[in-house]
Parts: sequence; structure tokens; C-alpha cells
Amino acid sequence: MWLHLNFNFGFNSSFVRKSLQKLPLTVAGLALIASLNTVNASQDGLGPKITLPENSEGKSCVLPSEQMRREHPDLLKHDRIQTLREGVRAKADDKALDGSLKQCVNCHAVKDESNKFVRIDNDQHFCVSCHKYAAVSIDCFQCHRDIPEGSGAFHALTNHKDVNYSNVVPGNYSLTVKDMANIAPEVNSDDN
Amino acid sequence: MTINIENKNNDETVNSLNKDAESSRRNFIFGSVAAAGLSVAPGMMLYQTANARSLSDFSLKEGASSKVRWGMLVDTTKDVDWNKCVDACNKEHGLGNEKNSRDDQKTQYIRVVDVKNKGTGYSMSLPVMCQHCESAPCVDVCPTGASMKRPDGIVLVDRHRCIGCRYCMMACPYKARSFVHEVLTDQTENTPRGKGCVESCNMCVNRIDNGQEPACVEASGGAIIFGDLNDSESPISKILSKHGGKQIRADLKLNPGVHYQGI
Repeated sequence: MWLHLNFNFGFNSSFVRKSLQKLPLTVAGLALIASLNTVNASQDGLGPKITLPENSEGKSCVLPSEQMRREHPDLLKHDRIQTLREGVRAKADDKALDGSLKQCVNCHAVKDESNKFVRIDNDQHFCVSCHKYAAVSIDCFQCHRDIPEGSGAFHALTNHKDVNYSNVVPGNYSLTVKDMANIAPEVNSDDN
Repeated sequence: MTINIENKNNDETVNSLNKDAESSRRNFIFGSVAAAGLSVAPGMMLYQTANARSLSDFSLKEGASSKVRWGMLVDTTKDVDWNKCVDACNKEHGLGNEKNSRDDQKTQYIRVVDVKNKGTGYSMSLPVMCQHCESAPCVDVCPTGASMKRPDGIVLVDRHRCIGCRYCMMACPYKARSFVHEVLTDQTENTPRGKGCVESCNMCVNRIDNGQEPACVEASGGAIIFGDLNDSESPISKILSKHGGKQIRADLKLNPGVHYQGI
């Protein structure tokens, strides 16, 4: 946050110096800067950098991105109980369960410069890229495989609904501080 | 013969599968593949291979059913190298990737046990895996509900709940369970496993749910038969009713799902 403000003061230094003499204007100016930052948030460079999967154009994750960001832990928790304890392996529409970690990894695996999948100890790993920023440490990959088996190409996006969300375009993205604030999940202490 | 008739019905009316929810899984495993078996006597199948089920098979949505009790019959009189089964198991579940553990600490889902009668000099070996007991002691003692029995009789560990207390390892009379002592990498997709959890043979639950036989059964060349113990028409039930079989430590009255011949 401090870095954030410092950057803006430096950029608008003359404006700030002048407006310090006129307090109301200063307040208005700061508010303007703040609002500009929220509008133009994707440029703030402070959020985590994520990589969306290749060949994902025209496809979406099992839910729209905004929902996935907040609800993916619930999906995973729900479906792991279904799969492991009850032996349910598919949804009513014959597609794979939404909360299949195997499917997450198959689509969202990130490759490095040498065209190899990056593992969980690499900051570029899709899960790590956000979790590290948000100081979330979860244990999924102590047991679960962190990269696809084989090339992963056979699995990519096969089970996903054919819905076009225009904001899903492969490439590198920088989430913003505001994005991350919106993701913060409600705290539940309901299960294991 | 009944098996073939069921199969014909399935082909003619696919929709009847959906109506007859309770026997679909059974029909699939034993119905659609009857021709692939190897018969040793009229009407008796020694083993059969199962076709991979597609996601359109509705039992994937239904989950495990208590109408089914999966079991295995191991014929130890067959001249089989049981290590082939162990290798197939290791490959299927990605076992053997411990780097720092001692040999006696490393995970094994199947052990090959050699027994010898000192009086007569007769020796034999048999594979011993989780026996998938009906009244499983490991399930009884587990403090967190991690050690569990699925409705279809498969006993397995829910690693999401396992705290690694190893009480189940103490309780198991078959020494079927192992504990992972070190951080693991490169697990297989279908068998997540990691440090601090107890694990054991899960009868290749991922394969069964996809309509395949367990890996050891496939590798045994017919020496291990897999099937539904609840279905009197299934090959395993027919052989057991005709020729009998033994359970290891049957005196404990745990009613294991794994039966043996020739012990």
C-alpha cells in the first residue's frame, strides 16, 4: 500500500505540491487519484500475475471467472467428498465433476521457457501465483499431482461448458489489489 | 448363460439400463464383456476383461452401491509370479518413489508372503493385500473417520481426514497398511499420496469406477478373479460356491472380501 501511494505521489509531484496549499483541492485530488487507480486497476502491477491456459479462447472454466475466484475452494471440498467417499465420478449431465483437482491441473498447467510444466515450487504455477500473494497455504499438492500426466493436451478443457466469456483469453494477466480484495472468501469452519 | 442374456437385453434397449438402476454396474462389468473371458469348464469363466466405461454410464453419477460387494479370489495353485502383480500395482499407484525411507518403511499395497511347512518341506507364496473386510477393524478404530468402507465393500483411506495416527495399522491383522514417512513428489493423477498419511490397497477404486478391473487382477493372467460377491451369477461367486475358498484368519470373523484357493 505504501509503495502504491509513493508511486502516485512521485508521478504527480507538482500537482501534489500545489494542492497542498489548498487543502480542499488536495483532498479532491487524492480522491481522484484513488478513483483513477480503481478504474485503471489492471495497470497497478501490484496484484499477483497469473497465466491463463493455452487454447482456452472461447471456453470458460466451470463457472465464470469472478465466481471461480471466490468459490473454487467450496467446489473442491464438495466434490472430493462425493468422489472419494461416495464413489460419484460424474455429474448428471455426464461431464466430470466441477471440483476435480485433476481437471484443474490439466487445464491450468503453466509451461516455462523450456516448454516444461512448472511444479508447485515455482511461483508461476497457476495455483501458487495467487495463493502466494494472498498468503494462503493449502496442502492439496502434498498428495495430489501438481502437473498433468503426459502432455496434458488430451485433457485440456474437454469437460468444460461451451460458454464464451470474452474476458477469458490466454496469456499473462496481472490481477489487481481490488480483484484480490474481492476474492477473500467468507470464513467457514463447518468441515474437516 | 444368464450373463449373455443380460448382455443381449442391454444391447437392445439401452434405456432399460437407466430404469434398472441397481444392477447397472454389475451388468456392465459382467454383462457386456462375457465373450472376452477364458473358460476352463462349460459355463465357468476363469477371468474376463472389462471394457472401459464411458462417462455416459449412469452409475458414475450414482456412486458406489451397497447392492454390490466387490471381492477377489486368488488361486495360489497357479504358477504365477506374484511380483508381476506387485509391479502392476506399483505402476498403477505410483508407489516406490520414496527416496529416504528404509525398505521396511516403504509403502506396499501388496506383499508376497512365502510360507513353508518345515515338516514336509512344501512351500508356496501368496499375495496379501488389504482384505477389504466386511467388519474392518481399521474402520472401527479410526478416530477421524478417515479409514472408511464404501457401500460397495471397498475399504480405503480418505487422506483428507487422515491425521496419521497409525491406529489402523495397529488394528489390521493383515499388516496391510503403510505409512508415508517423507515428502513425495510425482504422484500419479489417480492416486494422490503424501507424507503423514496411512495408505493401503484400495482395490484400484479409480479403475473400478471406470469399469476396469484392478491392476493386479489384470496382471495376474487369470490367477486372481475380481467380481461381485453379492451376485450369485458372477464368475467369482460361482467358483466360490462350487469349489470353495478360504479367507485368511477366518477365525477373526471379519469376513474379508479377498478369498484364496490352495492355502
